[in-house]
Amino acid sequence: MSHFKKVIAFMLFMLLLIVAVACNSSESGGEEENQSDDNNSNSNEETADSDGGESSDEPFSFSLMANLHTPEVPEEKVLEEIEGITNTDVEIQWVPDNNYEDRLNTAFATNSLPDAVFLKNQTTFIQFRDAIEDDQFWEIGPYLDEFENLQKLKDNVLDNTRVNGNLYTLYQGRPLSRQGMIYRKDWADNLGLEAPTTTEEFMEMARAFTEDDPDGNGENDTFGVTDRSDLIYGAFKTVSSWFGTPNYWGEKDGQLLPEFMFDEYVQTMDFFREMHENGYINQDFPVTSKVDQQEFIKNGSAGIYVGSMGDVISLYNDAVAINPDVEYDVHNYVEGPDGEFGVWAIPGFGNLVMFPKSSVETEEDLKKILGFFDSLMAPEVANLSYWGLEGEHYEVVDGSAKVTDDQAKFDREVKPYQAIGIGEPETNGRYEGFFEYEPKAKSEELFKDNENYLIEDPTVPLYSETYVQDGARLQQIITDATYQYILGQTDLEGFEAAIEDWKSQGGEDIIEEFNASE
Amino acid sequence: METTTLTPREEARQLKKMKKAETWRRIKRNKMIYLMILPGLLYFLIYKYLPMYGLIISFQDYKPYKGIAGSEWVGLEHFHRLVTSSEFWMIFKNTLVLFGLQIFIFFPIPIIISLMLNEVRHTFFKKGVQTLIYIPHFMSWVVIVSISYVMLTLDGGIINAIIESLGFEKINFLLNDDWFRPMYILQVIWREAGWGTIIFLAAITAVDPQLYEAARMDGANRFRQMWHITLPAIRNVIIVLLILKIGDVLELGFEHVYLLLNSSNRNVAEIFDTYVYVAGLQQGQFSYSTAVGFFKGAVGLVMVVFANWLAKRFNEEGIY
Repeated sequence: MSHFKKVIAFMLFMLLLIVAVACNSSESGGEEENQSDDNNSNSNEETADSDGGESSDEPFSFSLMANLHTPEVPEEKVLEEIEGITNTDVEIQWVPDNNYEDRLNTAFATNSLPDAVFLKNQTTFIQFRDAIEDDQFWEIGPYLDEFENLQKLKDNVLDNTRVNGNLYTLYQGRPLSRQGMIYRKDWADNLGLEAPTTTEEFMEMARAFTEDDPDGNGENDTFGVTDRSDLIYGAFKTVSSWFGTPNYWGEKDGQLLPEFMFDEYVQTMDFFREMHENGYINQDFPVTSKVDQQEFIKNGSAGIYVGSMGDVISLYNDAVAINPDVEYDVHNYVEGPDGEFGVWAIPGFGNLVMFPKSSVETEEDLKKILGFFDSLMAPEVANLSYWGLEGEHYEVVDGSAKVTDDQAKFDREVKPYQAIGIGEPETNGRYEGFFEYEPKAKSEELFKDNENYLIEDPTVPLYSETYVQDGARLQQIITDATYQYILGQTDLEGFEAAIEDWKSQGGEDIIEEFNASE
Repeated sequence: METTTLTPREEARQLKKMKKAETWRRIKRNKMIYLMILPGLLYFLIYKYLPMYGLIISFQDYKPYKGIAGSEWVGLEHFHRLVTSSEFWMIFKNTLVLFGLQIFIFFPIPIIISLMLNEVRHTFFKKGVQTLIYIPHFMSWVVIVSISYVMLTLDGGIINAIIESLGFEKINFLLNDDWFRPMYILQVIWREAGWGTIIFLAAITAVDPQLYEAARMDGANRFRQMWHITLPAIRNVIIVLLILKIGDVLELGFEHVYLLLNSSNRNVAEIFDTYVYVAGLQQGQFSYSTAVGFFKGAVGLVMVVFANWLAKRFNEEGIY
C-alpha cells in the first residue's frame, strides 16, 4: 500500500515538475532577466569570469552558430588550434546551409540564439532589422577602435550594414562579383568557336553546343546551357546584367524601380525563352537542383555554366574522373545589345555576424567575443581558419596558399571553418589562393576584372518596412511569372498582370518607401 | 430525527456529496487502472494542450524577444489579413481539392484491395502481396518525389523517353499545373494504399465464417458474399476511419506537397501547410503563420464535427 502511494507521489511530483519547467520556459520568453537560468553556457561563462578575475588564464567559452557548406560536421583539429591561440572555448552550432533560415528563425522565436550568430546573407539581415532597431543586438560600432584588427574592416562595406547609422555586425568579405561563365573549351575548339563577347555570340554557342555535335560522337546528346531553379545565383541574373538590367533596383525617370519593370529584364526573359524553346537549355531547369545542374556539365551533357566562376575547379575535379580529356575555361565579358558589359555586385559582404543581447549579457563578455573575432582577423589565425595547418592542409607557394593534393581532407577538416572568418585578404592578411589549375587562377583574376563593370544595388543602404515584411512573399509572384514567361506558359500581358499584382499587394508601398528613404 | 429537517437544497448537496464520495471510492478501487491512463493523460496535456497556449500569438504582433506577455495585442488583424489576401481563396480551394482527392479517390482504394486480398486463397501469395504493398510506406517523401523526378524529367527521364519513342510529344509533367494533382494522388496511393489495408484486413478476419457458409448454401456467389456480408460487417470500421480521415482534412502531407511545389504549379499546389512554412519559418512572420495554422485547425474541427453528425444521422456509430 505505502509503496503504491509512493508511486503516486512520484508521478504527481513529475507532473508538477514538467508544468513548472513549461511555465518557466514560456516566462523567460517574456522577461529577459530570467535568461541566464535556462542557458547553461552563460552561467558557465560567469563562473569562469569570477574565478579567473581580470587576467584570467581560464579559456573564455561562448557559443556560435554558423552555416555548414559541407555534408558533415568538421573534425575539430583546426578549431582546437584556433582555440589554443585565442584562449577560448568555442562551441560551434553547425547548421546545414540549406535550412539555415529555418533554424535561425526558430532559434530567434524560441529565444535560444547563441552568443554570436551568423546571418548567412543580406536577406536574413533585413528580416532582423526590426529586432535590431528594437535594441536586441549589441551595437558594436563604438568598440571597433579598441581592436587592432577589427578597425581595419572596410568602411564602405561596414556602411552597407549600418542600421540607422549604427553598426551591429562584423562582415565576412567576399569578392564583389564572382559571376561569369564556365564553358567546355574543348567543345568550342572542335567547332572553331571563341569565347562569346556578345549575347548573340553566347546564343550562337548555346546553339552550336546543342546542334553541331560538339563532342563529335555522332549523336545528338548535348545541349548548351545548364541552369537551376535559382533566378539569382543561377544563370538568369548574370545574363540579365549583360543586358544591362539593374541589380534588384534601378533608377528610371528619377525614380527607383524594381528590376522587373525595366525593358532589359523582359529582353533577358525573351533570351531565356528562346533558349528554352530551342532546347539550348535544360528543359526542366525551373526544378533542377544545383547538384543536377552541375552534373550536366560534369558528365558532358551540357557545355555552358553561368554562375560563380570559382566553381570551375570543383567541376573539373569531378569531370576529369569521367572524361580525362575534358577542358574548361572561364569567361566574364559578354556585351549586351547596347554594346556594354555589366555584372551585378553583392554589397561586399557574404556573411554577417551579430551578438544578441539575450545571450551576451555584459559589455565585458561582448568585448571578449569581439576579441575572439579580432584575433581571428590576425594573419596567423586567419590563415588557420581559412587554409588550415601549414604543411598539413596547405603550402605557401610564391606567397600564396596552395591546398595540398588531398582536397577531400581539406574539405573535411578546414573548409567548414571558412564560414566563421571575418574580413577579406586585404584586411585580415590571409594568403590569397594559389591554383595550379589554370582556369581557376584565371577566375580569380576575372573577379578583379569584374570590379570595373559592377552594377550595384542602390537599395542596400535604404529601408522599406513593407519590403522587410512582405518583400520575399511578393518576390515570389515575380519569380513565378518570370519562370512561366520563359516556359511560354504566360505572355507579356500575363507578366505585366503579375507586376500589377505585385504593386497592388504592397509593391506600390515598397517603391514609395525606398524612394522616400533615399 | 435530523434527516427530516433537510431542505431540498441541502438534500441535493448531500446527494452530490455522496456521489462524489462514490466516485472517489470507485477511483480508489480501480486505482491501478486509473494509474494506467495517467501517462496517456499526461501526454495529451503536455504535448497537445499546453502548446495551445502559444496560439495566443496569432492575436498579437508577436516579437520573440518581447515574449507572449510583452507583445502587442492586435486582435483579429492577422486573420483579417489572411482572409482578404488574394491568395487566400486559391489556397483554400487547393487544400479542399487535394482533400477531395484523398477522400474520393484514395480512401476507397485500401478497401478494394483488402476485399480483393481477402478472396485470395493462396496464403503465400496473399502474404507476399501484402508485404510488397506495405513497403512504400516506409520510404520518405523525399525519396518518392526524387524517384518521380528522375523518371518524369524532360532531360533524360525514362517515361518521356518512352513517350517519345512511341512517337508522341514529350509531356512536361513537372512544370505543368494540370499534372500536379494526378501526380500527387498517384504518389499518395503508391505509398499509402498498402499500409491502409491493415485495419480493413483485420476487420474482415473478425467476420463470422458461418455467415459465408449460410450464404453459400443459399447460392450466393463470391461477389454477392462480398457485397452482402463482408462490406456490411466492416461498415462501422470504414465509417470511423472515414471520420478520422476527415479529421486529418488539412493534413495533406506538408513535406510531400512542398517537394512537388514549383513556380509553374503554385496556383494549384500551394496549400495551408506550405504557406505557413514559407511565411512563418522562412520569412519569420510568426504571428501571421500561427493565425493561418489556427484557421486551418478550426476548419478541421468543423469538418470532423460535421462528419460525425452525418454519421449519426445515418444511424452509424460516430467517434464520440
